[in-house]
Amino acid sequence: MNKEYLIKKWLDKDLTPQEFEDFKMLKEYKALIKLSNYSKGFKAPEYNTDEALQNTMRAIAAKKTSSKNWLQPLLKIAAILAICLGGYYYTTTLDSSFNTSLAEKTSIELPDNSTVNLNALSTITFNKNNWDQNRSLSLNGEAFFNVKKGSNFSVLTDTVTINVIGTQFNIKQRQDYFEVVCYEGEVQINYNTGKTNLKAGDSFLIIKGEKVERLATNKAQPDWLNNVSSFISVPLSEVLFEFERQFNVKIEVNNIKTSQLFTGKFTHNDITIALKSITEPLQLQYKKVNQTIILVRE
Amino acid sequence: MSKNIYNDICEKSRFEAFFKRHAKDLHNFLHYRYGDRLNPQDKAQEAFIKLWKNCKKVSPEKAKSFLYTVANNLMLNEVSHQKVVLKHQKQKPTRHSNESPEFLMEEDEYRQKLERAIANLTEAERVAFLMNRTEGKRFKEIAELLGISTKAVEKRIYGALKKLRKEIDEL
Repeated sequence: MNKEYLIKKWLDKDLTPQEFEDFKMLKEYKALIKLSNYSKGFKAPEYNTDEALQNTMRAIAAKKTSSKNWLQPLLKIAAILAICLGGYYYTTTLDSSFNTSLAEKTSIELPDNSTVNLNALSTITFNKNNWDQNRSLSLNGEAFFNVKKGSNFSVLTDTVTINVIGTQFNIKQRQDYFEVVCYEGEVQINYNTGKTNLKAGDSFLIIKGEKVERLATNKAQPDWLNNVSSFISVPLSEVLFEFERQFNVKIEVNNIKTSQLFTGKFTHNDITIALKSITEPLQLQYKKVNQTIILVRE
Repeated sequence: MSKNIYNDICEKSRFEAFFKRHAKDLHNFLHYRYGDRLNPQDKAQEAFIKLWKNCKKVSPEKAKSFLYTVANNLMLNEVSHQKVVLKHQKQKPTRHSNESPEFLMEEDEYRQKLERAIANLTEAERVAFLMNRTEGKRFKEIAELLGISTKAVEKRIYGALKKLRKEIDEL
């Protein structure tokens, strides 16, 4: 019998009784048995399957509840993200608004480099977000537009929509008074249902709902950009309103017909000179008390 | 091997049965392979928890190998190439109280030698040899457990035996 064969069979507990006798006869027999007996001392510590199972199931249950614990901070993070994204979305889609108060002028650059000059007490509102697709803004007050050529550009006021492509024009929209003056290019005015096209120099004027015809102007831009308000046959009331807006004062009139027409101009830089340029041609006198100016006949 | 009619072991009773069938073998395998310093009991538990979590993804046929792979990886993450030391369990109450001091000393020396020799075996040899000698498992059972052939098991165990004999008896 082969020695290796016997030892292997012994290891596999596969010896027949006869083979076992042969195995005993081997000279290594004693050493092998000793080695085998001592090896048993390396047995793994007793493993209690039931106890381990209980522990494992407990750990699984604990993991489940703890998973709820990390869910809460996760929800908090999600909520913060939602607020941030919402805020970001809200602010980017929000309309931008610019306004001037009394006795203030400002210049605004639109996203496409068109410029808007705002006269006193005026507001424009537009949406930056899709400006390229939709060049549209709403105006309340008076503004001069220098529009870069490009897609359609429209200005919405309470009553009128103005469409342009690339031009310079002024819109003055006040109580009982609406005026558009085109300085370059061409603009289209949609008023009530009618459409009017203005070429460079043309004006469109409506006072108290009545359309007023005007001669063409050869100016390049409105006078108010140079701090002067000029009027041609405009009711005195509108002139005085403009004065109030430019100097932030109140004007009271006694016994004066404010519907009379006024032609002339006043500066925005000096209130005394401005007052004189209105009162002298009309032969009026003025008194100044704090922020109120009283006009009377001479 | 019986065909499993279930698609997964997410069912608690099925999982428990699976646990009872494999937990002890897994634990002992880890113990023989890596020693008890790395806490085989915890690793076995962790592997089962991982299996539970992934029970939907692991088919019953793959569950056992999944379990062993996970447990092995958990161990490998911690092994810093330190020598595996298996402690010889302190001898049970001595049967022969009349043993001479020389004999006891000799016995102690032999045990230490064996400890070193077993530590010097390869992991594969150690696992197979100890499963065979301490658990009394036959070659075929070990082969099934480790997913290798009976012949390979025989080779590992016999190789281990030869190495141990050589080192202890300085043959």
